[in-house]
Amino acid sequence: MKYAIAKRYKCIDAHNHVWGRNGRLDTAEAENVLKAADLVGIDRICVSVPLTHDCPTPEEVRRNNDIAIEAMKFSKRFLGFCFVNPGYAREATAEIERCVVEHGMVGVKLYHQYFISDPAQRPVMEKAAELGIPVLMHAGKVTDPMTRAAQPRLSAAEHFLQALKMFPDTMLIQGHIGGGGDWEWNLRGLESISGNNYYIDLSGSVVDAGIARRTLDTVGEDRVLFATDMSYEEGVGKVIDAGFSERQLVKIFSGNMEKILARRKK
Amino acid sequence: MKLFDINTAIGHWPFQQVRNNTSTKLRKLLESKGISGAAVAHTHGVFYKNCHDANGELAAEISKHRDFFTGIATINPTYPGWERDLQECVEAFGFKALRLLPLYHNYSLKSAEASAIIAAAGKMKIPVIIPACIFNFRQMHWMDIPRALELDDLKEVLLGNPDTRFVLTEGAVPVSQLADPSGKSLFKNLYIEMSRYRSAYGGVLSNLIRTIGADHVLFGSGAPFKEITPALMKLDNAEGSVAEKTQMTSGNFKKLLNL
Repeated sequence: MKYAIAKRYKCIDAHNHVWGRNGRLDTAEAENVLKAADLVGIDRICVSVPLTHDCPTPEEVRRNNDIAIEAMKFSKRFLGFCFVNPGYAREATAEIERCVVEHGMVGVKLYHQYFISDPAQRPVMEKAAELGIPVLMHAGKVTDPMTRAAQPRLSAAEHFLQALKMFPDTMLIQGHIGGGGDWEWNLRGLESISGNNYYIDLSGSVVDAGIARRTLDTVGEDRVLFATDMSYEEGVGKVIDAGFSERQLVKIFSGNMEKILARRKK
Repeated sequence: MKLFDINTAIGHWPFQQVRNNTSTKLRKLLESKGISGAAVAHTHGVFYKNCHDANGELAAEISKHRDFFTGIATINPTYPGWERDLQECVEAFGFKALRLLPLYHNYSLKSAEASAIIAAAGKMKIPVIIPACIFNFRQMHWMDIPRALELDDLKEVLLGNPDTRFVLTEGAVPVSQLADPSGKSLFKNLYIEMSRYRSAYGGVLSNLIRTIGADHVLFGSGAPFKEITPALMKLDNAEGSVAEKTQMTSGNFKKLLNL
């Protein structure tokens, strides 16, 4: 395909999903993900199966993670991220242990059940730090009343800055700068970012002109991860249009994520 | 394959800086992506009370780029004098389409005023372009509009004006809503700009093309608000013959705008 990412980048999609029901993978959908990845030149795909309602139970969480585990068996190109609800601290840490140690997942995925800076996150954050894996957080600064009401605990830049102080040993990935909120708000809030535990992914359907370039200019090329969150052409197209240098592309498409994966403790 | 873009604009957006928003800069940007011509509207017309002033600005702005840009009139049918404005846009400025913004200009497409201007556009044989939104409303400034237009906002007007051609830009109406249970297209007079339809994943754009026909789908980028390559990729990844893609990228554009 004319616009596909070149194979030499060995591109990793840092934020994506597979789906299923009752703990079983929807293999047709998984095939669709792989087909789309092939079309745009993605090699490996980080996938999770989050629950978006207020209080997922440990049983629901486990069933969804079983879908991601099946996906990892379905194709080695899928890298699993373990979804948990931090409200069930003991069960959440046990689930991370199961998914990462037993089944080889490579990260934790959190949704908007709690802000990332909520003290309730501590056991999950400490477990992730212990295992040397990143925590990918659904994030954004939505400003329309309807979405705000639907996602009252959506983490934005200010929450990440606070969380980095609270959990200095945990790698945090701020999800989808193009996820639909006020991305300029997030970037302005991140101007003081420092340290080597913060990353941000470029995924989301929003392709406002300059979004990828301004993200990199704000947080630095060592903290930006390529991702789609199912918006494949948007994910790749905004990186192409940003006019990044070869060095930057190498880091964004896989280099930064490879460094994160290399920090996983054996 | 020549590429024409049905969805571009010039001018400032009051809530976010937009670069490449003059005719010269926008043309350069579009040409750098292989685009040979574009329909363009003036963003100031979204916000001026007397929005016809923006049509005058557009005419002046694109006067040196008539070989590239085709003007789109932005008119508020609830404002006095719109009939003269429409006439001036078509006859004096040479604009080839009418853009309606019911959410920004605060009226319903089902209103008598909207019916009157749609009928006038039909008589003049120019298409009516309706953006579902301009910027994604989830990042709205508190003074902006908190929603996008949906098919329910348009249905009645589409069915009530079968001889007028409508173009929905920046829309993502589910393809299933555009067809009857047998898969037959419900709105013969609706044309859709494709930039918000997914292509690689799930083949949504291909499904749209199959459902409403390649003769009813138009390439559009949303520049300069949006990056252009995502739309180019979607087109590239869509199923369709060269002839069908040629329709989407140039044939439909020229036919709709009488070029």
